Amino acid sequence: MVKFRSAALAFKSLNGVICVYKPSCVSVKQVQHTIRTNLCRDLNALPDRPIEQRVEIIGPTNAPMEVKLVPNYADNPLVCGPRYIKDDFRCRVASHLGLFSSGVLLLGLNEGTTLTYQIHAGRPTRAYKVHGQLGKATNTYFWNGKTVERTTYNHVTREKIDGVVAHIQAAHQRTMFELSGLHMESQTTYELASKGLIRPAESKLPVVYGIKCVSFEPPNFTLEIQSVNEYDKYLWTLVHDLGIQLKSSAHCTGVQCIRQGKFELELALLRKHWTLEHLTNNMKICHKLLEDNLQLLKPESAVMMQ
Amino acid sequence: MNAIKVILRSRTPCAVGNRLYATTKKKISDPDEEESLPIFQYPVSKSSDRRMYVWGLAETGALGLHMPRGKKSRKQYRNNFSMCWHPMRSSFAERFDVTHVAAGYGFTVTSIKTSEQQKVFGTGINTDSQIGYHAPRIGHPLELLLSPSPIFLPYKSLETRIIGLSAGRAHTAVLTDNEGVFTLGNNAYGQCGRKIHNNEEYRGSMATHNIKKLGVEKIVNVCCGQDHTLFVTEGGKVYACGWGADGQTGLGTYENQAIPAMVKGDITSEKIVKVASTGDCVLALNEHGELFGWGNSEYGQVPMATTQQQVNMSYALVSFTKGLGKIIDVAAGGSFCLIVNEAGDAFVWGYGLLGLGPNVQHSRTPKQIPAPLFGRNEFNPTSMVQKVACGIGHLAAITNSGDLYMWGRNRQGCLGLGHTKDQYFPLKVSIGAHVLDVACSVDHSVATCKPFI
Repeated sequence: MVKFRSAALAFKSLNGVICVYKPSCVSVKQVQHTIRTNLCRDLNALPDRPIEQRVEIIGPTNAPMEVKLVPNYADNPLVCGPRYIKDDFRCRVASHLGLFSSGVLLLGLNEGTTLTYQIHAGRPTRAYKVHGQLGKATNTYFWNGKTVERTTYNHVTREKIDGVVAHIQAAHQRTMFELSGLHMESQTTYELASKGLIRPAESKLPVVYGIKCVSFEPPNFTLEIQSVNEYDKYLWTLVHDLGIQLKSSAHCTGVQCIRQGKFELELALLRKHWTLEHLTNNMKICHKLLEDNLQLLKPESAVMMQ
Repeated sequence: MNAIKVILRSRTPCAVGNRLYATTKKKISDPDEEESLPIFQYPVSKSSDRRMYVWGLAETGALGLHMPRGKKSRKQYRNNFSMCWHPMRSSFAERFDVTHVAAGYGFTVTSIKTSEQQKVFGTGINTDSQIGYHAPRIGHPLELLLSPSPIFLPYKSLETRIIGLSAGRAHTAVLTDNEGVFTLGNNAYGQCGRKIHNNEEYRGSMATHNIKKLGVEKIVNVCCGQDHTLFVTEGGKVYACGWGADGQTGLGTYENQAIPAMVKGDITSEKIVKVASTGDCVLALNEHGELFGWGNSEYGQVPMATTQQQVNMSYALVSFTKGLGKIIDVAAGGSFCLIVNEAGDAFVWGYGLLGLGPNVQHSRTPKQIPAPLFGRNEFNPTSMVQKVACGIGHLAAITNSGDLYMWGRNRQGCLGLGHTKDQYFPLKVSIGAHVLDVACSVDHSVATCKPFI
């Protein structure tokens, strides 16, 4: 933990990527706002530079004048406001998380916004834990929607979920080829395909790479989904579709992002730690991680590297 | 609060002070309303339920999908329903419990679980009575059937079960549990296992032939090549009959064989469990997972020391497949062979679209098709190929999770990928069920599947 001696030094070090844990029901905008205001609060509490002095020349002009330094009230925080304000920080997310999703969120601060842009352009896989409940379908596919259907779910077993989920995963492998933008009859496609997974060429359509059931306690179940280009509503529809495939109905009860590229859940800062010391510390760890995995920023080929 | 909103909404729009707000705020649903909803129970399939998916050329009627002609405005696409681009669920399997399916050249034979006379159904081309005698009027036999019709076979007992089916270019073999094999269709080369009559008329023929036993042993497996038939007995002996110009009967000659005779060469001392043949090349697998082959070897399917292109005796391919481990399934196509070993890796050799990319057309040694193409990656490391099948120009593999992958020559859309372009590496076919078995022929494919739930 670094102790900063002055606010200016601390502000200079705040250029980079941080990894925070976004709680559910708190929007990304709110998270950005909280972090920025917390940083301002902590920076303003640090020892500040001395207040600027104003040179005052007084006395009659036809006689020797007196030059003296007086405190400049225009530079006084009590007059001009706090030294650091929210607008001093540029803040950008690497990938959006919906209002009801929680989990790992990558934020770029000031110069770090370019890094988050590059991470986004590199299309890293994101892993999610998606919680669902059988027996009820809603109009939004999420728990907050209006119930549209109720069904029985006694016939559903863990094996059946595993079977359907494996099939969904294999079906997405085919869309992976279609979205990779590659010519299906070329040797390049074959060489890429035989190496493994391919990243999609565009950022619009979601591709699921891995999906498996990690827990099943009827009626609740949890899926672990690894994907690119997905968004929270898409994950909800996956749960809804799974319910239909299982000859029942299901709705999503929660979405948690557990990994973004190489950024794991352990790295993510909780809301109580969104302070200057913790954030700068976190930024250091994140930069170390990025240096070790430069392919996150500049992928050399379309093959998925994890 | 909700009650107030409802009251407000019910007021007429012209009422004073009533404005329509465009709000994105979701109304919290009333929990009591949910309680009043009925609880549905969707039907769940039995474990014995089977589905049949068909795709490829539909003009021959081999798919058994008979689309009544559409009216001028609605469903006009039915008027030129000549091809099935994607796997289509056949309604036949919904009406009967399908057990085995075989795909011949332009026809399909299906067996069902029943204790009645109609155990085997056929659909498609019937020019050589390969799917039985069907005549709406006496003396006017049908040469094409558009939907499955029962094939009459003279069973001794109606309790007889069908345990195997196979179809060749123009003949069919039906294997029963107690009554041996019934063959029907073209016998110009002796592929039905009976005496060849030079001027026999096969169109509208009612002839079926019953091979009860071979030697003293029961028949446990039957396989039809293009114009030859192979039988595997309980003791693991292989018998063959039919066209032998490429040596595919394995009898040491290049003559046609009318009466099934035991295949000569290396397999006489082995216990064979499976034989595979679609064209003129034959592969056999013994109980230890070792490979044997004979028949056409123009493209090195059965590699010999000399440049022999017709191998008329079985040869062990143990040294050829050395290092591949125990082989669990084999398939022989028109000009290539496909095998899968215990580890779930598929190997291919021969000539054609082998699945090794557009640059590899010919391979003399078994080459592995990269496992990631069959879905083995870091998210699914246990994916293994379990079954393989070959048509004349296309190949298929089924993985342990019940996914079907196909590649090769896409004649008439027989790969089921939605287009007629050739596929150079395995690609998953979209079938919404657990695939158990697949039968490929020249221009259509049939998959037997199990519903997920």
